[in-house]
Amino acid sequence: MAGNKSYHRHSRNVSIKETIGCILHIAYREVGIMRKNPIYAFCTIFFPMVVILFFTSLMNEGQPVEMPVGVVDQDNTATSRQLIRQLDAFQTTHVVAHYPNMNEAREAIQRNQIYAFLLIPKGTTTGLMSDKQPKISFYYSSVSLVSGSLLYRDLKTISTLGSAGVGMTKLSAIGKTENEIRTFLQPIAVDLHMINNPWVNYNVYLSTTMVPGVLMIFIFLLTPYSIGTELKFRRSRQWIKMAGGNPYIALIGKLLPQTVLFLTMMYGFEFYVYYHLGFPHPGGIVPILLLGLLSVLACQGFGAFAFGLMPSLRMSMSTCSLWSVVSLSVCGATYPLFAMDSAIQSIAQMFPLRHYYMIYQMSIFNGFPLVDSWFNIMALCVFIILPIFTVWNIKRAMLIYTYIP
Amino acid sequence: MENNSLLHRIKEGILDTCYICVREMRGTITDEGVLIFCVLVPLLYPLLYSWIYNNEVVREVPVAIVDQSHTNASREYIRKFDASPDTKVAYYCTSLEEAKDLTAKQQVHGTLYFPEDFERRLYRGEQTKVGVYCDMSLMLTYKAIYQTAQVVASDMNAQIQIAQSTDYTKRDNEITTKPLDFDEVPIFNTTGGYGNAILPGVLMLILQQTLLLGIGLAAGTARENNRFKDLVPISKHYNGIFRIVLGKSLCYFMIYMVMGAYLALVIPHLYHFTSLVSAQAIIGLMVPYILACTFFGMMLSCLVRYRENVMLLVVFSSVPFLFMTGLSWPQSNIPGFWQGVATIIPSTFGVRGFMRISSMGATLQDIQTEYQALWIQVLVYFFATCVVYRYQIISTRRRAFNHMQRLKEMAETAKQLKGAGSDIDTQKDS
Repeated sequence: MAGNKSYHRHSRNVSIKETIGCILHIAYREVGIMRKNPIYAFCTIFFPMVVILFFTSLMNEGQPVEMPVGVVDQDNTATSRQLIRQLDAFQTTHVVAHYPNMNEAREAIQRNQIYAFLLIPKGTTTGLMSDKQPKISFYYSSVSLVSGSLLYRDLKTISTLGSAGVGMTKLSAIGKTENEIRTFLQPIAVDLHMINNPWVNYNVYLSTTMVPGVLMIFIFLLTPYSIGTELKFRRSRQWIKMAGGNPYIALIGKLLPQTVLFLTMMYGFEFYVYYHLGFPHPGGIVPILLLGLLSVLACQGFGAFAFGLMPSLRMSMSTCSLWSVVSLSVCGATYPLFAMDSAIQSIAQMFPLRHYYMIYQMSIFNGFPLVDSWFNIMALCVFIILPIFTVWNIKRAMLIYTYIP
Repeated sequence: MENNSLLHRIKEGILDTCYICVREMRGTITDEGVLIFCVLVPLLYPLLYSWIYNNEVVREVPVAIVDQSHTNASREYIRKFDASPDTKVAYYCTSLEEAKDLTAKQQVHGTLYFPEDFERRLYRGEQTKVGVYCDMSLMLTYKAIYQTAQVVASDMNAQIQIAQSTDYTKRDNEITTKPLDFDEVPIFNTTGGYGNAILPGVLMLILQQTLLLGIGLAAGTARENNRFKDLVPISKHYNGIFRIVLGKSLCYFMIYMVMGAYLALVIPHLYHFTSLVSAQAIIGLMVPYILACTFFGMMLSCLVRYRENVMLLVVFSSVPFLFMTGLSWPQSNIPGFWQGVATIIPSTFGVRGFMRISSMGATLQDIQTEYQALWIQVLVYFFATCVVYRYQIISTRRRAFNHMQRLKEMAETAKQLKGAGSDIDTQKDS
């Protein structure tokens, strides 16, 4: 109590040392609160770890392999069977069943037993022999986009190979060399360079945005929660008093322990994926560290701002929860932002995860200089200073308001 | 007499169930937090999501061109590439470095590179190559650029083959370039749209998550308003576990059947998403799904001490729950451990079932696994809820009894003190 009084007396003319002492004092108090309420430990340590392990282990394969595919082989010849064997040999495809007709194969898709099937009608081989241009077909379901597009690629390749096989046999029969045959079948070849993710690894592609997105949900929610529970448990006046009536000191002191915990989690995640799992990061360590710090602070800034705007625990937490969940969609990591409506393209700038994703893909994943993502870095800085606009309201609420359930 | 009392008890039970249901309903409407999550969010959130994914497919992905060949062949390739629906030629660059710079500035998402000998090699009878450089930070733009490049190349290849062959008729040409013809049929979600693929899952998940939030918040409020911080109030109506559990769940079931119909039928209709639902299948799925979610939520609500903790526990779980359904990462490739965890959660089966009903026109027989699993969940979570509520009621009664006992003791001691006091008084008097 004596300490509190002395802070109060010098509040107009405090030295830096006293300010720091004050902040640490509040931070120490906060640690005590966090130890008493188990929800803090769950939301800062346990759940984030579960989420990190969930995403990285879920997509551990990198690209889905051996997905179930069916075959309707009405031709039943050596040629058709060879085609099926070749299809089965692909990494992504696994031929799991043969169906007598097209309807049964369709029903198998509806029952979720296969994702796609190849139909080889009767007379395909005889048609090939007699130059009648027979037709095979493949059916793929894009209800799950990943399996749809990967199986489409395999099935299309196998169908094109069918044609190429015939051409090859003919050309070698008239004495063409292998090189000539290749040139004839494919005069223009596509030389594909998949920069920085040549394996098309979905873990690299999705985990790097989804996991920080979920971590941000925790930061978004826990910030107004910890401020609001001061009101709820009637400790708010004591809190402001400890800061000598200065709401900035009160806020910084209160959020400091959470910042440390969340930053540890964020850096822990980044080091785990970049250095243990070896995700590509040509940008190096500087943008990784900078991005982790900026994004944690930006989310805390937003949370504190939201509470200042609506100094009720329920409203600010509801807003933050809706905001943080939508950010996973509008950040544009899965469905690109430029393909959304123009209004959403502007709205998306109000979500920290959008800027996280942009800085990540430009400066860490692609290794371009940080200057190229200056706009997004500035935007995250704006989020950090947002509480300035509503901090007076937080103080007012803490001194005047009472908790309304 | 016996018969009469049984009838009486049944009648009383039904009346109490209705009483509890009405009280819960009133609580839902008057409690702002519950109102937001149980009514407003399910009504408005789907509109927002539908708006985000409304455009479905990615068109006109900007691409930079580095043409060092400057020939008829390279220009023809570029023209065809530009004319394709998915890609757009945005910039012409003189070097790959310049194109890289444009990628860094997010002006383009890929680059086509034509080497200096692009056409010369063609006329020499050698295989020529067009370099395609893709920014891999977005799968959809990569797919658009790569697939278009492939299609344009095979189109030009066919023309070159025709020019080189010695065929007489058009039919001969067709057979030369494609001796084995093929059809590619996108059988479900025919546009390959992103919204069509994601939205059914998101809709079903919104149902579950808002229900969990609503029930949790209501339970938190009930507990905080209660004198002894108990979930179940002491009242003659809250007598018997079944009427409490049934009464409460009836309230949420009624609200959510309406919400479920709105999400499953109205939203897809408004935004023109694929909807192949049949009445029998959708009712057969939604009834167990909503019941399972309700009992799941009621079971978990007993863990909640403060109402705000519910949000911390439920909100983040939406993302892992969505991935566990196999919506994004295919179901066949989810590791066994997570498959096991997924079976605990109603949304896993709800989303899978609804995807197949809505996007693939599956019948109830086709989603047999899903709805059977949901009914098992309904039973398990119903009895689990009853057990948990029973425990709550017992502890409530014990606490109330202790409290009464303490009051009685206090009164007794006060009386004794008073008696003793009066004794002293009388002694003094005498």
